[in-house]
Amino acid sequence: MRWLKSAALASLTLAMLPLPSTLCSPQNSSFVHQKRYAMGTVFEIVIYDEDLPRADAAARAALDEVVRLDAIMSNYKPESDLSRMNRTAHFQPVRIPRELYESIEESLFYSRHSDGQFDISVGPLVDLWKAALAGGPLPTAADRASALRCVGYQKIELIPPDRIQFHSHCMRLDLGAIGKGYAVDRAARILNARGIHRAYIDAGGSTIYGLVAAPGGNAWRVRLRDPSRKVGPEVMLINNSVSTSEQSAPSSLQGDTPGHIILPGTGKPLQTRYAISVTAPSATASDALSTTLLLLGPTKGAAMVKTLHNVSAIWIDSDGQRTLAGDGVSFLLTGENRPIRVSPLKNRMAAISKAPKELLP
Amino acid sequence: MRRMSFLCVLFLGAIAACTPVTAKVFLRVEPSPIPPADKTGIQDIVLVWPLRDLSAIAKLRSQGYRVFLQCELKDLVAAVVAGDRAAVTGMIVTNTVPSSESPSAEQLRPYFAAHKNLTFRVLVPGGKQPQMKGRLVVERDGVLQVSSPSSQPWLDTNLALVRLAQARDPESVPILYDFHWDTSGELPDVWHPDAEAYAVSIAEADAIGSDVTIDLPGSLQRALVADDPRAWTLWKAIMPYLDFSSHAPMERMIPVVNLGVVVDGAQASYEAINLMARHNLAFESVRPSSLTLARLRSWNSVVVFCSLNKEALALLRNFAASGGIVIFVNTHDEFPWHSAPPLRQESRVTVYSVGAGQVVEPAEPVVDPENFARDLRRLIGREGSALALWNSLTTLVTGYREQSRPDVTLYLVNYAAQPENVQVQVKGRFTRVRLESPEGPSGVSLPFVERGGFTEFTIPELRITARLHLDSARESSAAP
Repeated sequence: MRWLKSAALASLTLAMLPLPSTLCSPQNSSFVHQKRYAMGTVFEIVIYDEDLPRADAAARAALDEVVRLDAIMSNYKPESDLSRMNRTAHFQPVRIPRELYESIEESLFYSRHSDGQFDISVGPLVDLWKAALAGGPLPTAADRASALRCVGYQKIELIPPDRIQFHSHCMRLDLGAIGKGYAVDRAARILNARGIHRAYIDAGGSTIYGLVAAPGGNAWRVRLRDPSRKVGPEVMLINNSVSTSEQSAPSSLQGDTPGHIILPGTGKPLQTRYAISVTAPSATASDALSTTLLLLGPTKGAAMVKTLHNVSAIWIDSDGQRTLAGDGVSFLLTGENRPIRVSPLKNRMAAISKAPKELLP
Repeated sequence: MRRMSFLCVLFLGAIAACTPVTAKVFLRVEPSPIPPADKTGIQDIVLVWPLRDLSAIAKLRSQGYRVFLQCELKDLVAAVVAGDRAAVTGMIVTNTVPSSESPSAEQLRPYFAAHKNLTFRVLVPGGKQPQMKGRLVVERDGVLQVSSPSSQPWLDTNLALVRLAQARDPESVPILYDFHWDTSGELPDVWHPDAEAYAVSIAEADAIGSDVTIDLPGSLQRALVADDPRAWTLWKAIMPYLDFSSHAPMERMIPVVNLGVVVDGAQASYEAINLMARHNLAFESVRPSSLTLARLRSWNSVVVFCSLNKEALALLRNFAASGGIVIFVNTHDEFPWHSAPPLRQESRVTVYSVGAGQVVEPAEPVVDPENFARDLRRLIGREGSALALWNSLTTLVTGYREQSRPDVTLYLVNYAAQPENVQVQVKGRFTRVRLESPEGPSGVSLPFVERGGFTEFTIPELRITARLHLDSARESSAAP
């Protein structure tokens, strides 16, 4: 699913904006900025700290961790633990690294709570449509039916503490819709463990985690994707995360080409005019939820968000119609002087089950 | 003003056309001491005019360097007199000074003729430090600002700059460009740029078949003279790349391409072409006047960014009729094929069938160059692509071959400077694939497979650069 998510990046334009001086005005320019290519995108870290060599070392360590996770979770690298699991878990339970186990466990949580709309086993369908997206013929109904037989999170069995088995002979997992978020959280943990608190971590713009803001500020202000260019949504991050998802635009040269996000239920590309941004206490949660809630759409998605703690979502379509939901970080919209409070909360579940252990101090 | 600068480039470029290639990498230094050429591994040194003390030239020459003087067009008269007296190897002229049109060029022409012992090069403006960028992080007025031109890894490359310069003046090859180091956000007390930045710059110049002028920061120059071990550790990490570059094939190679780009000026089309380069579309750019039947034979697709005369239009119509794809960007002209109903008409694009091929007319100019480049690659398809990479969005690939031989040399540059297993697909059948790299053993034969008329192989652990020599099977051609 790396392809699935990385292709989505084309439509994501999160951007840190200049901040009013009352919000985030660094009193000196002592920051470190490092970047590293991993998981098909560029991970970047900015750290403000009095001890720049320490900040530099911390950023390197955090990015090293991201690269290490890429080596575990990549479905492009045949030697990765994920690829090895995909080759062998059909026949017997296989032992997998803790990071892989945690990511899959987290993914299954979102699969269950979205009635399977979020599904890390959608890889065979993605591959089928990838060929069409590259200019090949559209998959036939028979092709789709065949691929659908390989899909279904219910066929994934996690055997604590560290084993997995597939109950389908053609299943193949892809963590592209959650892996970057997981890596961002791990990087944040490393920064915290090294005493770094004023920083933000950016996974190619699709997921951004803000720790404590730069000196003189109280939050990282992030402008979010707006396909209408009318709403101008922004969000303030402090020890939380935002992720954005959007279906890819039709080709400017070939017209209506299929999008890259596939509905696991039908096996067809999602058709939507929405872009969605989701905030959550952890990047793993915001990353997974952005895909999940895009697939669910604003009506069903808002209902799901209301069952979660500390999560906010905003759907914006190309005409500027917007839907807000959740009790997490408030969104700032153009022309509005104060944060928009999202809808009242009722009937919540006991939070995002895995989120607390990703929370930062 | 732009028009004048452009004319100056044309004029000086015409002179450069008669100039032999002297170097790949020029090092621009301060007119102060520097270790000798046999220690730095550099042959060609650039000093910027005006020079207070011309004896610096003699000193550098005695240390084994060829010395070039860089000056602005307005200073050329004085600089060339002084340079000639001091026995410089040549002049590098920048065209930043506006002046009147032809009189200026006319005044200079005899002067060049009077100094035939000097090599004249024109510095193409607009170069940028080759690097992988993510989001742009800057601090303005004490506020951190972050933005992104792209959600994918953004490569600042000079390929488009060079290809467009080649289109303007195809005879003035190789192009010479420079850039300024970007040291924002770097730690103090650490050498910047680092060795990887130099290595990428040197490797890129090789890959795009151009010459480059690289600045040596004064602090590093002084530290090298002072035998600072840290400075020499850095420089010794650069030297293998200089050496590797100096052994690049010297023959006049022609690029392996399947896509033609027709432009008359860079302004409107630069960013689209820049993104084509970043997405490894194997292209060359030409001006409408250079559009010939022979040229079209090496392409299967053409993107047109400008108006064409009747002759050029007829060539492209025949090109499409024989199976080619022609894309007209931002044109509102009436074409002969408009008399027939389109094959497909949607809000974003109209497609006409012309013989065995098609003409594609997007409804809008290129508003999103990245998507345009991706859409172009998809439209051309795997079968039509002369070169393709997998598993590395941060690697540039270019291919070259001799005019009369199907053997191909590929140049790869990984801007991320961290090892990647890069999968390569090249159109054509080859009997051997040999890897050369400054980062490991050279001359290694790589395993490859042939699939559907393409040769596929993997470069293990490509860190910054490699050259691949593909020996052709004699019965086939590597041309697209």
